[in-house]
Amino acid sequence: MVVRRNVIRYSLAVDEKKRSNLKTIASESYMKSETLFLKNAQTFAEAMVRCGVRYHFAYPITPATEVMKHTSVILPQYGGRMVQMESELAVANALAGCACTGTLGATSTSGPGMSLMQETISYMAGGELPCIMLDAMRVGPGDGDIVGAQSNYFQATRGGGHGDYRVIVLAPASGQEIVDIMPEAVKLAYTYRTPVLFVIDGVTCTMTESANFPEPHDYASEFDTSSWAFTGTGDHPKRYLLTGSYTHSQGEELNNHLLAKYERIKEEEQRWEEIQVDDADVVLVAFGIHGRMGQDLVSNMRADGKKVGLIRPISLWPFPDKAFEKLPESVKSMLVVEMNHGQMLDDVRLAVNGRLPVHFLGKTGGDMPLCTLAEMTAKINTLL
Amino acid sequence: MQELAKIYGETLLLDKKFSYCPGCGHGIVTRLVAEAIEAFGIRKRTVSVVGIGCGGFSHHYMEIDAIEAMHGRAPAVAVGYKIAKPENIVYTYQGDGDCSAIGLAELLHTANRGIPVTCFMINNNLFGMTGGQMSPATLEGQVTSTTPKGRDVHQHGYPLRVPEMMADMRGAKYVAREAVYDAKSIRKAASSVRKALDCQMKGLGFSFVEFIVPCPTGLRLSVSDSYKWNKEKMVEYFKPQVFKNEMEQNDEN
Repeated sequence: MVVRRNVIRYSLAVDEKKRSNLKTIASESYMKSETLFLKNAQTFAEAMVRCGVRYHFAYPITPATEVMKHTSVILPQYGGRMVQMESELAVANALAGCACTGTLGATSTSGPGMSLMQETISYMAGGELPCIMLDAMRVGPGDGDIVGAQSNYFQATRGGGHGDYRVIVLAPASGQEIVDIMPEAVKLAYTYRTPVLFVIDGVTCTMTESANFPEPHDYASEFDTSSWAFTGTGDHPKRYLLTGSYTHSQGEELNNHLLAKYERIKEEEQRWEEIQVDDADVVLVAFGIHGRMGQDLVSNMRADGKKVGLIRPISLWPFPDKAFEKLPESVKSMLVVEMNHGQMLDDVRLAVNGRLPVHFLGKTGGDMPLCTLAEMTAKINTLL
Repeated sequence: MQELAKIYGETLLLDKKFSYCPGCGHGIVTRLVAEAIEAFGIRKRTVSVVGIGCGGFSHHYMEIDAIEAMHGRAPAVAVGYKIAKPENIVYTYQGDGDCSAIGLAELLHTANRGIPVTCFMINNNLFGMTGGQMSPATLEGQVTSTTPKGRDVHQHGYPLRVPEMMADMRGAKYVAREAVYDAKSIRKAASSVRKALDCQMKGLGFSFVEFIVPCPTGLRLSVSDSYKWNKEKMVEYFKPQVFKNEMEQNDEN
């Protein structure tokens, strides 16, 4: 008689029964509506897991490492897992493989890691594969520095990869906004079958603050992926993911299809916050940490009788052009403030289209990698 | 064709026009893989992740779901897929350029990781699709379009043996190199394909088979000469053998 023993069998995933038990345990006793005091990178991890992400692929890189440290602890409680890969190239492609099954996966990285993933982001956009990504932005170019920055705006919104593609880019400015916007991110990823990329400056990412989490809800499982997922021909005729051109006409059809989708996203998914623009003389435009500082700046300057308003883009792509379409007559000029040398500035100028002067204040790197409230206030005073 | 389907089953799409050049070794390996899938009855839950190169065409001749990965990254895609859907069978089908040039890191880490996926490396010792350039597997002195005076090992390094690198990796459970230059070698290759897939079906770990195949077009040889060259030159350096078969290692009577 042959007795088999000590053969290592890789248990790749918790079986379904165990998984659903774990979900119940997680939602009933461990994960419920609560306020947590976390580093915002950890808040990102919590938020995405509570919204249905079950597989997180990552490679260590500062300041994004906090996300994978956190998911390696919490994902097993949901029947999922954090998978540390050998490089960001492997990370992005494993994420693509995960997405091919219709399962929601995520990744998180910073600067150089994001650059390595660009080829696959183009691939996933072309292949219409949903996922959640985070770029915890740090100073570049090259190896750059580990301090926070917003210098990946171009890379995120223009596409650092090849071809005519876009991904939805979201820029929450606080831990609470990360939590609030995550369900929308999952819905956007599945509704439009696209990667959704969070770009959060490293300052916001490493900040520790409170956030209120609602009860966990698996938004991802609410979407039916059976019409496109590559799950085997058991219930559908052969499907194959082709992002190249088997024939030249297929390449053109793919691009036209993507273009139509991107036009729909531009029309329907612009997001921004607007504060006291209606009668403003000068409008500050800033996202992320500078947008958050802008909220204080407006109330401080208004208290001094200075008519300043704020437009804080939340979706960087699609850029909220609509916020700039009907600016009141009172607005004389605009000031863009960024943790870079002027990247979103281009989009603001395109949105304003020469109707108003658009000024810029920005910096990147150094011990103090962002503009202070005093510097922003002083600059606006010169424009009033 | 329907009559043929009765013999060959549903996996191999017999009425599909081939994109492989006449005499290409891919045709043999593609059929071996399709026959193994058919024999195991796993067609409906098998997914092929193909690389970039002529091997990328392989799935078009099979009635299975397929993912065309970016160049070299098929093993990483397979890992992500298998983790999210472990009940399915996932194999990569890649050339020697895809596997051992641009994708060596992903391949070796996948082997070492030991997650039960299967990688098939079809080694025709050059970049076939782009017209016969040197690959890591090009033999010393071999003339290609990018080594017009022959591969100079002092400049380009030595022909790279891939499965040898996996021999010490504990995650890899079945590792073999096969050839397809005659009926006997093809039968051995068919056996290795079945074992590699079986290894995955049993959840034992990573499995890998390299196939030494001729590329008559890239070699600029007649079909018969390319097979002869394969048998005499390639196999001398890339010796067919089973490097590792730990599928039954812990069995005892």
